[in-house]
Amino acid sequence: MTPRAGKSRSSASGPAKTPLVVVCAGGGGVGKTTTSAALALALARQGRTTLIVTIDPARRLAGAMGVPIGDVVTQVALPDTGGRLFALMPDPRTSMRTFVDELFVDQPAAKAHLLANRLFVELSDAAAGVHELVAMNLIAGAAAGGRFEVVVIDTAPSRHAIDFVTYPGRLAALLGGRTIAWLAGVAERATDRAPSTGALSWGVGRIESLLARVTGPHLLGDTASLFGDLARVRERFVALTQHAANLLLGDRTAYVLVVAPTAAARDDAVYLHDRLDKLGRKPHAIVMNRGDVAAASYVRILRETAGISPSLLDAIGILEQERATRGRAAAAFSAELEKALPKLPIVRLPFIEAVAPDDVMMALALELREHVETLLP
Amino acid sequence: MAAALAPAVLVMGKGGVGKTTVAAGLAVLGAETLGKAAFVEFSDGEAGRRALAGSHKSIEHIVIRPAEALQRGATPLFGSSILAKLALGNFAMRPLLRAAPAIRELAMLESVRQLVAERPGTRVVVDMPATGHSVAWLRVPKQGRRLLGAGPLFDMCERVGRELMTPGKSSIVIVTLPERLVIAETVELCLAITGETGMPVDHIVVNRMQVALPEAALAEADSLSARRGPVGDAARALAQILTARRVARREGETALEALHLSNPAIWRIPLAPADPSAKAVASWLRAEGAL
Repeated sequence: MTPRAGKSRSSASGPAKTPLVVVCAGGGGVGKTTTSAALALALARQGRTTLIVTIDPARRLAGAMGVPIGDVVTQVALPDTGGRLFALMPDPRTSMRTFVDELFVDQPAAKAHLLANRLFVELSDAAAGVHELVAMNLIAGAAAGGRFEVVVIDTAPSRHAIDFVTYPGRLAALLGGRTIAWLAGVAERATDRAPSTGALSWGVGRIESLLARVTGPHLLGDTASLFGDLARVRERFVALTQHAANLLLGDRTAYVLVVAPTAAARDDAVYLHDRLDKLGRKPHAIVMNRGDVAAASYVRILRETAGISPSLLDAIGILEQERATRGRAAAAFSAELEKALPKLPIVRLPFIEAVAPDDVMMALALELREHVETLLP
Repeated sequence: MAAALAPAVLVMGKGGVGKTTVAAGLAVLGAETLGKAAFVEFSDGEAGRRALAGSHKSIEHIVIRPAEALQRGATPLFGSSILAKLALGNFAMRPLLRAAPAIRELAMLESVRQLVAERPGTRVVVDMPATGHSVAWLRVPKQGRRLLGAGPLFDMCERVGRELMTPGKSSIVIVTLPERLVIAETVELCLAITGETGMPVDHIVVNRMQVALPEAALAEADSLSARRGPVGDAARALAQILTARRVARREGETALEALHLSNPAIWRIPLAPADPSAKAVASWLRAEGAL
């Protein structure tokens, strides 16, 4: 335990009541969602009121925790949590609509105009970062009451999972910038003319005419109109994104990289480390799943038991061989990480031989008990 | 059963399922079958280099960065690469291109279309970006046609749809794992792909199939569990693992049945102790009937 962790924790009960935030980031397939849930469970069992937020919820895990996917904070009824574990699993499919409702709360006409925009209808679900923004605002709202001591955020399984911190700023700048003025001009000129004169007659500048010719009759106009609508709510947009940035870039927030001993996961971890570095943040610790350290005790005991059949020894042999292979990969990976990112604590968790997501989560929560302080900011 | 693979093979799946490894294996298989193959990836090239290490010499490794894809896709639109560069570098276009969700995807698909057209008789295997909740990627040509109405960009969407996103021109291969959560997402992905693009999912690769453990071992571990003391404890621990394994295998098989909806070919790849080589993956795929 570091003195820093102790100090932060005591101030959590102070007047500010800003929760500690642990952001779990990592590539796909490393067990990030399950690990995040397990960490939250371990925290709640230690007496801290904890909120787990899953940005990209898997329905089965939500089911295992008995939590609906949606915008509500729900108490999780798992054993020994004493009612201190809560979960929030916002639905990515509805977040764009939520976002628009929030942005245009006092501008119904502009909202209707936006919702009818062809470009918006086709592409709104592909807009990067919006779901994260909506989730962050839900978290900020939930955290504002001072109810939670710790918030664990399970990011989307992507190398770009934390990029959305910068994306809104870029979009906000775009909304206030020359691009919009230019596009608005293009759109105005396009609508001033009769449609029959065609795209070619739009051209004022050469580039403009080229673009108009290439993109066809609608696209520039639709784009200009879309950004025109968004520019009306620029200030609200900036305010909303500021919330997210404050929450994620504050000094009560720790980033934990979740990895597994595969080459792809290592690349993802290094990439995420570099992204964090660009944002002026350092990861706080690494959690390595499938990072078995020691052989399970049953192996030795059963091998030494008289009268064990060849098929049982065979099964033990196969399991032990798999574990040894995982162990070697994990050891090699740990050595690489220690070299590349010195001073970064690595928490190695064993592979959990279980099928149901909640069984895996429970087992990992037990393993994480002794590492909680390492992972907190 | 599904037909052999088309000239272009689009390999998709969620992150962490071994998509790149399988794509590299399919490229090796293509090189062995057709004599020529290309492996296309949209990143820094590191993943492909690693996956292809030591494999067939006749595999061309093509790395497309987003900016290059834009330039490549835009050149025929503007008539020359200089005009394309000018237009893309326009002060207003640059931030717009960075923020726009679909432009890059269209440019990348157009790049793939060009690469395939330039390489007749070559199996072009594309390691597609990992899928999240949407298949935004593959929807792009259809969307573009709806959005644009007319013009050269519209024509490009038409071309991508006609020459790439069409059965016979390309095959979609989805990589998955024999696990509950992953299979459930794969079923959603298959439905979304067919619904959004009209393309059938003809081929599914189930990666990391666990080896079967001796059946008799579980019964014996169960009976040993009745003993008192450390042996009983150890036997219970082992029995728990063996049970989990058996359930996992059965469940994997049951879950896989959900994938039979459109009658795809299902190719299984065993769980390798470490990252397997592309050659090994190719031989497993061949043994499963892939061509």
